[in-house]
Amino acid sequence: MSLIWFVEQPLWYLSATVFVVGVLWRLFALVALGKKEDLSVARGSAGGGAVRAVLLHFIPHGGFFSKTFFHFLAGYAFHLGLFVLLLFAAPHVTFIDERILGVGWTPLPRWAFILTAEIAFAGLIFLWARRISDPVQRQISDADDHAGTWLTFIAMLTGCLALQESNDALRIIHMLSVEVWLIYFPFSRLMHAFTWVLSRGNMGAVFGRRGVTP
Amino acid sequence: MSAQKAIDALAGQIDSTVASYLEACIHCGQCAEACHFYQVTGDPKYTPTYKMRPIDRVYRRDKAPFSGLMKAIGLAPDELTMQDLEDWSELLYDTCTLCGRCTLVCPMGIDIATVVRKSRAGLVAAGMVPEGLLAAAERAVEQGSPLIKPGVLEKVVAKQSAEVGIPIELDKKGVDYLVILSAMEILNFYEVIGALAKIFKQAGISWTISTTAFEATNIGYQMGSPDIARTLVQRIVDSAEELGVKYVISPECGHAYTALNWDGPNMTGKRHSFKVIHILELLEQLRRDGRVKTKGLDGRRITYHDPCQISRRGGVIDEPRSLIDQISSNFVEMRNHGAANICCGGGGGVSSNPRAEGLRIKAFACKKEQIDELGGVEALVTSCANCRNVLEEAIDEFEMDLPVVGLTELVAMYLDEGEKKPAARKRRKKAA
Amino acid sequence: MSHRDGIAIMLLNAPRKNVVRLARAGAVFLVAALVICAAATPSLSEGGLAPHLSTNPGPANTLGGQSSADYWRQIRQGQSFTLVNPQMGPPVLVQSEGQDWRIFRNETIKRYGGYLILAMLAATILFAALRGRVRIEGGRSGRTIPRFSQTERTIHWFVAAVFIMLGVSGLVLLFGRTILVPVIGKTAHGALASAMLQGHNLLGPLFIIGILAMAVVYFKDNLPRSADIAWFFKGGPLFKWHVPSWKYNAGEKIWFWSAVIGGIALSGSGILMEFPWLAQNLQQLQLATIVHGIAATIVIGFAVGHIYLGTIGVEGALEGMTQGQVDENWAQEHHHLWADAASDGPSAASETAPAE
Repeated sequence: MSLIWFVEQPLWYLSATVFVVGVLWRLFALVALGKKEDLSVARGSAGGGAVRAVLLHFIPHGGFFSKTFFHFLAGYAFHLGLFVLLLFAAPHVTFIDERILGVGWTPLPRWAFILTAEIAFAGLIFLWARRISDPVQRQISDADDHAGTWLTFIAMLTGCLALQESNDALRIIHMLSVEVWLIYFPFSRLMHAFTWVLSRGNMGAVFGRRGVTP
Repeated sequence: MSAQKAIDALAGQIDSTVASYLEACIHCGQCAEACHFYQVTGDPKYTPTYKMRPIDRVYRRDKAPFSGLMKAIGLAPDELTMQDLEDWSELLYDTCTLCGRCTLVCPMGIDIATVVRKSRAGLVAAGMVPEGLLAAAERAVEQGSPLIKPGVLEKVVAKQSAEVGIPIELDKKGVDYLVILSAMEILNFYEVIGALAKIFKQAGISWTISTTAFEATNIGYQMGSPDIARTLVQRIVDSAEELGVKYVISPECGHAYTALNWDGPNMTGKRHSFKVIHILELLEQLRRDGRVKTKGLDGRRITYHDPCQISRRGGVIDEPRSLIDQISSNFVEMRNHGAANICCGGGGGVSSNPRAEGLRIKAFACKKEQIDELGGVEALVTSCANCRNVLEEAIDEFEMDLPVVGLTELVAMYLDEGEKKPAARKRRKKAA
Repeated sequence: MSHRDGIAIMLLNAPRKNVVRLARAGAVFLVAALVICAAATPSLSEGGLAPHLSTNPGPANTLGGQSSADYWRQIRQGQSFTLVNPQMGPPVLVQSEGQDWRIFRNETIKRYGGYLILAMLAATILFAALRGRVRIEGGRSGRTIPRFSQTERTIHWFVAAVFIMLGVSGLVLLFGRTILVPVIGKTAHGALASAMLQGHNLLGPLFIIGILAMAVVYFKDNLPRSADIAWFFKGGPLFKWHVPSWKYNAGEKIWFWSAVIGGIALSGSGILMEFPWLAQNLQQLQLATIVHGIAATIVIGFAVGHIYLGTIGVEGALEGMTQGQVDENWAQEHHHLWADAASDGPSAASETAPAE
């Protein structure tokens, strides 16, 4: 049993399973906490409010754009960059094709990959720099915030360190770091990747009934 | 020893909605930008999401998915202590007006204000409610109002009735509308009663005020006591049912509307047998139907302060504007008006909490900036008696010259009463 | 073929098969860096990596065991080349200046650059041993004054993070063969160097953006002032007394200007190394690697001292960069002139308004 085999086969399946089952269970358990039926007379639609809130909160509103421009810029740079890399990096497309879905799609050209990675890294490093140097964020951050940031960073970095695609060891290190990330994910605040819809939606539903979307 | 009670109370407040808020917070701190208490102090402990920390800890320790596993491997947060609760008492009671402006800026759309209000239940259970609020709640339960002693209502109503020359019958059965009032209105802004009498007379509305359930302010709702909040709502519900009204008119009072209309049925556990209508909604409806006619225009440069619970959290945003447009020729809007408006600084029970007074006055600086930007504003119109009181106090404190006017009274001033001139503009002398 | 011949070849845009073979033949790892840059030209237009690899499986023998004689034979049999930049003139197979350049880079820069970094490390340790941790003599006052705005802090940590990653990867690339190969062996070093090269090239552009932003944001308070001369005459931080200074003392200003000038030199030379087709001639590329090496060792040397003084070396310094506020007594002791101005009002002190 080689390390390469272990990381590529059993550990991959284990971590993917922990991720999928963990995320589903966490979301299920969250919704299963339940809530009472709202007995008030609705002025507007809860569903409409939920949709509005989910969409509205993609962009800062209420006059905050200039005040939170940093978060907007760095946040989107990182997140959009990460998703593009995740779905369109050539080795990822191959991996998705061969190991997960059985279909592939046109990957990014190399120059676009590099550019996207740089944007994503810049966003993540800026967000981290802010987290350690903003009194507000220092006050509210906990170990989980830092762990999530670092694990994501390491997964991205090891991926880019393997860019020459000529060394199994580097590929395995990347894969291993991704597997650690996948296992950590359902137990951590990385879950915000899914819970944001619930949070925005629930808030929108509450206020949608009242005819307003804050 | 009673920390467990608080923990249980907090756990009891967590449903799937609250849990989704707690799960989604990524600690980005943008909410601080929306909070007037953080803005005027720059103290990071006033960051709105930090105020959710106690309930978040209870959630992550006892209620969250995988919390058992986390506890087993020692990664669950520590159990809440009495000291923690004491530390958060200021954050939850004194420095959050439940205005909900932080929700606007939150990329996750978290309704922090609701979580803060629910968190107060933990402090209620731990017996850590600020003195002022507790006393007000006791008076509300025992004498029917936090501020109005028995018998005072009758006198005030009689005086107003005489002043406008319209009879007002208390506890009258079989009318359509039951008017409830905020204590602040009865005490300080009683002209609103005469104003309502005039408007309703013109519109041909049958109405009454109950001597047992006249108080709209729900101090239990503000202090986070589900029991007291339910008792106070139940009192109005019982009275409305007994009098057989079709509507209960929620007055110019912020929390009253949320507490009675939006959360009321959920507290009593059954749908209201009557409809709750906010006074602004009713006035706008009457105006549109031509049942309330006005004459003349107010030429002063006026602006409208949106009470948080009525606009951002109540959805009554357009109505006051159409009403003002009807009677004003010089209405200007503040930046970020409507759902994004800045709080007066004293909602959510903060104004009933003497401990919070210093910071509350300080927080008015944010509101003042919003007003000053417009330049030359001659009157500030609002539709919440608590806002009005808080604003007047702060305006005095900041030595500004700016009258604060209730919208209902303003409408009544320009009521078209046939040959009679528009009501004389009588400015109440400030008590303080 | 010896490794040194690869230096000339690497600049030639040989058919990719040969480039790949050359890279995989275990040539000098720094050479590999430039090969990749050169190889990037065709791959820019040809798209992603997966097809690149699938159409070019390359030799199976990746450990360099292939006979150099085979390679040499190909060249002798008339293998032709074109340069990455056709304007560079006719291709020359063996650059004789290349040898001088190679010796300078591999021996002179490595030796003296290494000594410089070791010397800075030693000086820092010596300073720490003799002077100990510089305490706030008056103790903490409990009152704080704002020192760095949110913008200053965010940019600082961004540059710091990128700088450390570039520094570590750059040191591996420069000294790896000398220091790491004997310890971890060629195979592991090969993987490591490949990783460090990719990381270095990827993050380099972020450093350029960061250092330029930093130069702009920190510029005003780092202009020389008369107090800086006195600071030098009194021996700066070496003795127990504190020399009055403005927001930054002369030592800090030297660090700022070294970082900015060194950073610009690193940026410019780095761009040429990463995109060699931008060079007009071979000498520019050779110069770029030399400038890069010299500037890097100097800036890394300074960084050693800066990191020590900014963290454990001086009590009360780090919080200025983490929380934005410093203790009043710290400010009075270390930046007397600035602190006095600060107590006249926050706007006079911080000079730049807080970010938000």
